[in-house]
Amino acid sequence: MAHNILEALEVDFSYANGTKALDKLNLLVQQGEKLAILGANGAGKSTLFLHFNGIHRPHSGQINYKDTPIAYNNKGLIDLRKKVGIVFQDPDSQLFSASVWQDISFGPLNLGLSKKEVIRRVEQAMAATEIEDLENKPTHMLSYGQKKRVAIAGILAMEPEVIILDEPTAGLDPRHAREFMMLLNKLNLAGTTIIMSTHDVDLAYSWADRIAVMNLGKVIGWGEPAEIFSQPQLLLQADLALPLILEVQTALVQKGWLTDSTPLPRNIEELLDSIPEMYPVKVHRCV
Amino acid sequence: MINIDFYAYSNKLNAVHPLEKVLFAVITMLICLLSGSIFTPILILVLMAVAIVLMAGIPAHLYGRLLLLPLTFLLLSVLSIAFSAAASTVGFWISYRFGNLVVGIRFPDLIKAMHLFLRSLGSVSCLYFLALTTPMTEVINLLRKLKIPVLITELMILIYRFIFVFLESAATIKRAQSSRLGYINIRSSFRSLSQLVVALFGKVFIKSRELFETMSARCYGGEINVLAKNHLVNYTNYVLIGVCAFLIISLDIVWR
Repeated sequence: MAHNILEALEVDFSYANGTKALDKLNLLVQQGEKLAILGANGAGKSTLFLHFNGIHRPHSGQINYKDTPIAYNNKGLIDLRKKVGIVFQDPDSQLFSASVWQDISFGPLNLGLSKKEVIRRVEQAMAATEIEDLENKPTHMLSYGQKKRVAIAGILAMEPEVIILDEPTAGLDPRHAREFMMLLNKLNLAGTTIIMSTHDVDLAYSWADRIAVMNLGKVIGWGEPAEIFSQPQLLLQADLALPLILEVQTALVQKGWLTDSTPLPRNIEELLDSIPEMYPVKVHRCV
Repeated sequence: MINIDFYAYSNKLNAVHPLEKVLFAVITMLICLLSGSIFTPILILVLMAVAIVLMAGIPAHLYGRLLLLPLTFLLLSVLSIAFSAAASTVGFWISYRFGNLVVGIRFPDLIKAMHLFLRSLGSVSCLYFLALTTPMTEVINLLRKLKIPVLITELMILIYRFIFVFLESAATIKRAQSSRLGYINIRSSFRSLSQLVVALFGKVFIKSRELFETMSARCYGGEINVLAKNHLVNYTNYVLIGVCAFLIISLDIVWR
C-alpha cells in the first residue's frame, strides 16, 4: 500500500513582480517512488520545489507532508526541512563555505546530531559522491561538476526521506551523470523518495516510476512513463519530444518488424531483445 | 592575490597544524618588531625565505615578487626618516647645502631608517609565511576555536567564499563584453565597465537571496554551524618554534 509523502493541493503562487508561477497546481508524490518532473523552462518546476521545502508559502492552496498540512512556523519548517532535502540547480548558490568538509557538515550539524555522527555522515556522503579527494581543496578551485557533487553530498549527509533535485545531471559529464543516477537508484532502494526535474525525456522515461508533466504552472499530465508518452496531445502541449527508444519502437512497429502488441520497452536492452532475427527477410528472398 | 590563495592550499606544509604555523609566524613577527639589532630582521628574512621556499615549496620567483610589493611604500616612508634638514652641517654624514638650508643624512638616522626598513620587511615576510602556507578556511577555524565572536567568523566564511564567486562572475561578464568588442576604445571601456559594475551589484542581491534560501533548506537557524577537520598536533614543531624563538632572541641580545 503506497503512502502519500508530499502533496500539493490547488497551489497558487505569484512572485513579487507579478509573474504567476504556480496556477492551481495539484501533484501527489508517493513514498518510495522515483518521480521525474518534465516541463519547459519557466513551467514552475523550481518554484514548486521551493514549496515542498517550505521556502515559499502558497498564496492559496496547501502543501501536505504525509497527509498533514505544513506548519509555517519555525519548528514546523525545521521539521519539514529535516525530511525534505533540495539539491539546487546552481551549486554556487548552495555552497557557502570555501571548505568542502565544512559545507557538507553544515546540514547534519543543524539537525542537532552528535559530532561523531556528523563526521560519519560527512564521510559517507563524500564516499557516495566520490569526492574524498576534494576534501582539502577550496570550493572555488573545483570544476562545475565537482561543485555539483559537493552540493549533492551536503544534502545526502542530512539523510532526508525525500530528496528533490533540480536538474541534477545538467553540467555533469556522461560518466558522472550515469554514476549519479546509479547513486539515486541505490538511495531509492534504501527507501528514499526521489523527485527530479529534468529536460532529458530519455532519462525520465527509463528512470522514473512516475512522470509529472508541467506547463505554465500546472501539472497537465501525471502517470507512469509509458502512459505519459502514449498521449501525443499532451506531449505537443508541453513541447516534449518522444524518448528515442519509443521513436525507434514506433518505427519498427510501423514497418512491420514488431507487432502492435509488443510491450513498450523501458530501456535499450528491452528494445534490442524484442527485435526478431532476420528470417522474415530470408523467407522473402527465397520466394 | 589569487596566487597566494592557490599556494595556501597546495604547499608542502599543508598537513602541519594551522596553530603551529600561526604561532611560528606571529612569534617571529613579534621578535622582529621588537628587535634591537639590525641583524635580527636580516636573520628573520633569511629564516622565512628558507621556510617559504625550501620547506613550503613556494616558487622563489613568486616569493621574490611578493616581497617587492611593499618595497615602494617602505622606501618612501623610510626616506623621510633618513633625510633631515638643518641650518649647519654639524653632525651630518652626507650633506648638501641649498642656500641657508643643509639637507642630508645623519649616520644614526641612516641606521634607524635601515633598521625600520628591515624590521617592516621582516614582519611582512612572517605574514607572507602565514598567507602562503595556511588556507583562509583554517585560519577562520582557528579564530572560531579561539572564541572570536561568531558574527565575525561567520562574516569571514561568507566573504571569503563570495570573493571568488563574484570574481568569477566579473571575469565571465568581462569576457562576454570583450568578445563583443566592449573594450575596443576608452569610451566603450568606460561604458562596459559601468555596466559590469551594475550587473555585478544586481548579482550580489540575487546571490544573497539564493544563499539564504539554500541555507534555509538545510535547516539554517540563524547560526552557521560547521565542523572543522582536525589536524594532527605535532609537539616537535612546538619545541622547534620555541628553540627558534629562543635562538633569535639570544642573538638579538648579543648583537645589540
